[in-house]
Order: sequence, then C-alpha cells, then structure tokens
Amino acid sequence: MKKILAAVLASTMALALAACGGGGGTTSGTPQTCGGSSNTPAPSTGGKVEISAIVAEYGQNTRTWWADFEKEFNASHDDINLTVEVQSWNDISTVVNTRISGDAAPDILNIDLFAAYQADDLLLPAQDYVSADTYAKFYQSFLDQSVVDGVVWAIPDLASARAMYYNKDILEAAGVEVPTTWDELKAACEAIKAYDSNIYPWGIDMTTDEGQAAAAYYIWNNGGDFTDADGNWTLNSDKNVEAIEYAIGLINDGLTNTDPANETRYNLQDLLGAGQLAMMIGPNSIPTYVADGGYSVNLGVASIPTNGGNPSVSAGVMDRFMVFDNGYTDEELAAITEFFDYFYEDTRYSEWVLMEGFLPATSAGGEIVAASDPEMAPWVEIVGSCKFYPVAKAEWDDVKTGIIRAEQEALLGGNVQELLDNLQAEIAG
Amino acid sequence: MNKKTLRRVEPYIWIAPSVILMAVFILVPICSVFQIAMNDVSKAGKLRGFNNFANFSKVLKSPTFALVLKNTIVWTIAVVVISTVLGFLLALVLNNKFRGRKIARAIVVFPWATTLVIQASAWNFIINTDYGTLNTLLMKLRLISAPVNWTPNAGAYFAWEIACGIFVTIPFVTFCVLSGLQSIDTSYYEAATVDGATYFQKLFSITLPLVKSSLTVATVLNIIYVFNSFPIIWTMTKGDPASRTDTLVTYLYKLAFYNSKQGEAAAVSVIGFLILLICASTYMIYTLRKGDDDL
Repeated sequence: MKKILAAVLASTMALALAACGGGGGTTSGTPQTCGGSSNTPAPSTGGKVEISAIVAEYGQNTRTWWADFEKEFNASHDDINLTVEVQSWNDISTVVNTRISGDAAPDILNIDLFAAYQADDLLLPAQDYVSADTYAKFYQSFLDQSVVDGVVWAIPDLASARAMYYNKDILEAAGVEVPTTWDELKAACEAIKAYDSNIYPWGIDMTTDEGQAAAAYYIWNNGGDFTDADGNWTLNSDKNVEAIEYAIGLINDGLTNTDPANETRYNLQDLLGAGQLAMMIGPNSIPTYVADGGYSVNLGVASIPTNGGNPSVSAGVMDRFMVFDNGYTDEELAAITEFFDYFYEDTRYSEWVLMEGFLPATSAGGEIVAASDPEMAPWVEIVGSCKFYPVAKAEWDDVKTGIIRAEQEALLGGNVQELLDNLQAEIAG
Repeated sequence: MNKKTLRRVEPYIWIAPSVILMAVFILVPICSVFQIAMNDVSKAGKLRGFNNFANFSKVLKSPTFALVLKNTIVWTIAVVVISTVLGFLLALVLNNKFRGRKIARAIVVFPWATTLVIQASAWNFIINTDYGTLNTLLMKLRLISAPVNWTPNAGAYFAWEIACGIFVTIPFVTFCVLSGLQSIDTSYYEAATVDGATYFQKLFSITLPLVKSSLTVATVLNIIYVFNSFPIIWTMTKGDPASRTDTLVTYLYKLAFYNSKQGEAAAVSVIGFLILLICASTYMIYTLRKGDDDL
C-alpha cells in the first residue's frame, strides 16, 4: 500500500514539475502580480491625480514613443501623474484579465476587442470621458463599430484595411487584365496557371491566424454579411454559402497556394515577394514587408474582386481605447479626458499613426497622413469606407473560430451549407 | 530541545523549503485551475461562481474533444514508444568503445539542447512544398523532377509532427539509458561470456533487467512531457486543419486564448491532469511491483 501511495505521490510531483516546465512558449512572462498596488486609481501622492494606461505594442518603436509621451504629458500637467505600460499582443489580454480578476483594472486600455469587458459591465461610455472636440474628430463609421445598446463604449485608435495586391509582371506575361469580378478572377487564375504551372495564381489564408478575413473578403464582396441590419447573425445565408463555396472551388481547382489551412498571410506575402504567387488580398503594409524581406517585385494594388455587381468592399480591422469604470472622482475623469485630448491632438496623433504604419481613425489625422505620404493617400480613402467585423457582439470570438473551422472542414471535403447551418445553429441557438 | 527530538525533526526542517516552494508554486496554480474549471467564467476572466460542472459537460459533449483526445493518445504513444526503442538502441551503440565516441555523444545532445520552437520551425522549413530543403535536395540529386507536397493531408502533417517529436525525444531516452548502462558491472558480462551466452542472451538477461529502472523513469517523464508538449504542434500546424492535428494542450490553448472560454479550457486541463495521473501512477505501480518480484 505504501508503495502504491509513494508511486501516486511521485507521479503527482512529476506531473506538477512537468506542468511547470511544460508551459514554455504559452503564456510565460504574463503573470505580473495582481496585488492591486499601483493600478487602482487613487488620488494619492503630492495631490497629483494618478491615471494608468495599458497600451498595445504595435511595433519596435512603440515603447520609446509611449515613454516620451508619458514624460511630455506629465511635464506639461502638474496635477496629473500618468503611467503608461506597453504590453505585447501576446500578453496583453492575459495581463488585463489577471488585473481585472485582482480588482486592479487599468484606467485606460488600448486593445482590439471591447465587447467582453462591456458585457461584464466594466467599461464607461465613451462620451463620459471624451471631450466633445475630440469626439467630433472620429470617422462616424468607426465609432459605430463600438456601439452596444445604442451607446459607444470605446473609441478607435487606428485601423488597417485590405486590398488586392498583384504581381504586374506575371499578369502582363500571362496576358491578363487586373480582375474586378469573380468570373474575371477565375479566368485570370486559369490563364496564369496555363502560362506557368509553377506560379500560384491566387493566395488564400484559411488558418487559425486569419481565416475569418478570408471569409469576410468573399462574403462581403458577394453582398453577404455576418449579421443582418438588425444585428442578428446570418452566417448561413445563401450569399455567404455561395461565397465560401467559390473560395473553396478556387482551391479545389488548383488555382491557389497548396495548403490554405496552414499557410498564413505571411507565408503568402513571402511567396508574393519571391514571385511565386501572382495575386493576394492583404494590408497596406505588404510593399514594406516585401521590401524588408529583400525581394523586389513589381507590385500593383487594386480593389478586391466582387460578384453580382456588388461594389468592392475592403475589410477593415480597428483597434480601440476604452476606459474601465473604476469609480472615478471628477478630477480623475477630467485627467482621463485630458489624456485623450492630448493624445488625439492632430499633429501628435498623425505622427503616432505614421510611426506605427497604420491608418488613422480621425479625419484630420487622415488628411495629415495622406498629405505626408502619397502612397498612403488611397488607403486613407479606403479605410474611411471599409467594412468591419461585428466585434461589438459578444459572440464574435465564437463566430470567428467557428467560421475558420467551417472553412477548414470544407477544405477537408465538408458541405459548406451544412457547416454554416451548424454554425448558425450553434451561435444563434 | 533534546537531541532525540532534534534528530526526529531535523529531516523535516531540511525538506521544508522545497515543500513550501512546491506548495506555493505548484499546488496553488493546480488548485486555481481546478477552481476555474468548476466556475462560470466570463470572457473577461471574472469568476461567477460554481456552475455544476457545466464546463466539463460542455467539453465532453463536444465532438471535437473526442477527436482531440484520440490525437493526443496517438501522439503520446507513437512518440514515446518509438523514441524509447530508438533511444535504447542508440544508447547501446554509444556504450560501445569506438573512436569519436565523445563527439558522437555530444552530437546526440544537439536536438535536446535546441529550443523546440526552433526545431519545429526547422522541420517546417525542411518539408515545405515551395521552398523546403528536402525538395531542393531531392531535385538536386535528380531523384524528383518537380516539388513534392509532403503534407497533402492532415494525417501527413501529424506524421511529420510525430517524427519531429521522436527526433527531439530520443536524446533524453538515450542519456537515461546510457547512465543505466554505465552503472552495470562488466563482470556480469564477463561471467556470461565464460558461460557461452550469446549477444542477445546477454542483452535480455543482463542489460535489460539492469537498465529497467532508468528506462522506467525515462518513460514516465516522457509520457508526461510528450502528452503536455505544446511547441511542436503549435509551431507546425496550430492544430489545423479543423483540429485534425490538435492535442489536448493546443486545444485548450485555443479555447482559452482564441475563444475566451477559460472555464472550458481549465476543464480540459483538469481532464488531461487526471488522465496523466492515472497513466503515470499505474505504470509506476506496475513496473515497481514487477521489479520487486524479480529481485
């Protein structure tokens, strides 16, 4: 008996040790203590109002930019002490969730999704803390993306949009025009394939990373959508089924990269750079990515091809600022308002957006960015009119992973109609 | 305090620091996982109280879970069994005296000493259809004329992941067995040789029984490590397509960090923990008891 007990004990210990060692690469480095020391707002030291912010790390210069911002802000505001913490995209959700469970939510948060926090009644309405002047700067279509129950809960910080990139030389050599409709796209792919069977005509990414974007490109450009005008899920609508079937059809006809379930957009961008891929849909950062990779290809950019005479729709991704409801005094709320006024000051804001290489969320910022960088000008136009994922709905996480799973099941031979019917039933109940 | 009491208490004082450390850094997180698994957890991570094992029933009812569990079992058994056999054979080879043995032993450590993410990325790079080194090599050798798609389906991907798992696990087994082999007194073999024993008789009657304890330790640790292994599968496929290459660990990671279903993720973690606890304990009880009978 003793031996059995010893064996059970020993294996428990070994398991526990493995559990400690085996976590590498998952969430290491995240558990910053949640002791609730510095993050709860407290009108403390020296009569200064303390406000804290957690912001996302977009690129290599984000940390330096925010360190300078913090210094300048505190130097020009004697009565406020701002602390900005920059977190990588891998860690930011875990850090914030840990803080929330320790009742130490930050005051200001810069992240992509807000619906989960709103659903838990953790956020303040945007108009409680954004001054009228700053509020008026945002594109209305951007603010609409953060509405739940008629209230705006977060404000946009920046965005990115998608368009079709193509290798001009390959298209010219294959003798095809830049496709604008699905029929033209398929014909162009076939012509490119006939010209050189080693070139993949069209790139599709249906991976866990970004499979939802693939769905959006085809669904939106077929006149379909994830929801109807009232915000009800319409995942299995005829247009959506037709759209996914079209994409799967391109893959099954051998007109795309070989493994869309495992090849991410970055793999596709590498293939595009190496001249092995003729066309793909991607963000405005592609030319920089390709150039940084040491490639030199003759790239052109065009609208995403559409079907059924629908206007071309670009897929937008937008990140946000939100403020947690930490029971503020008037001074604290005023300090938070001041933070946003300072951040969204036109020159400072457009400088930040340009530094991060994204697209601005304010019209004034858009004008400055378009004027300072001619390559960004068409993108500023695109982003003002693009469509966004329905992230204001709390089920979006499930829809996103569900639609990726449906695409991947379809790649394995599943029936698109059945897969989307199941997803619709699962989500809408 | 008299000498007798001190002597009785002394060992506990010595082990107290490690017991306390283990309690704080191991037991607390384990309890916390159990707590999350039993709670209704909001997407923002707030615990909303006991929910009558709803997380467990949701997980167990999902058809994906059965698929993922099957993958995990195939993955663990294939990697552990094959790497144990190959590692054992390699240890036998490395235990012989030959020129360059030290270098050979050092080379065997390499896969073990490299980060798993790097290993998995390297394997991905080797088998890639478009720019993979395997295709390039075979084309240079004129064995193939056009690039071969080495991963035409999910099963092929999973097989490559298992191959990568085996490759990185072999060194561990080899070194455990090698340490066991080196502790065997050569007089046993000399006596056996005098009695006219063949190579295989010596292998099965002397070597195997005497390295059994090191092999047991290696196998138990391997089962745990391989079962819980995350980096290889995550780097190579992220469990795609449609969970066909997911194991419990990558599945629970997706549940927690892609779907924000932390309660269900914790439930999967608890299920994995219990499976491992049962397997590892059974294996240890079985081998230890058998070991006693032999001695």
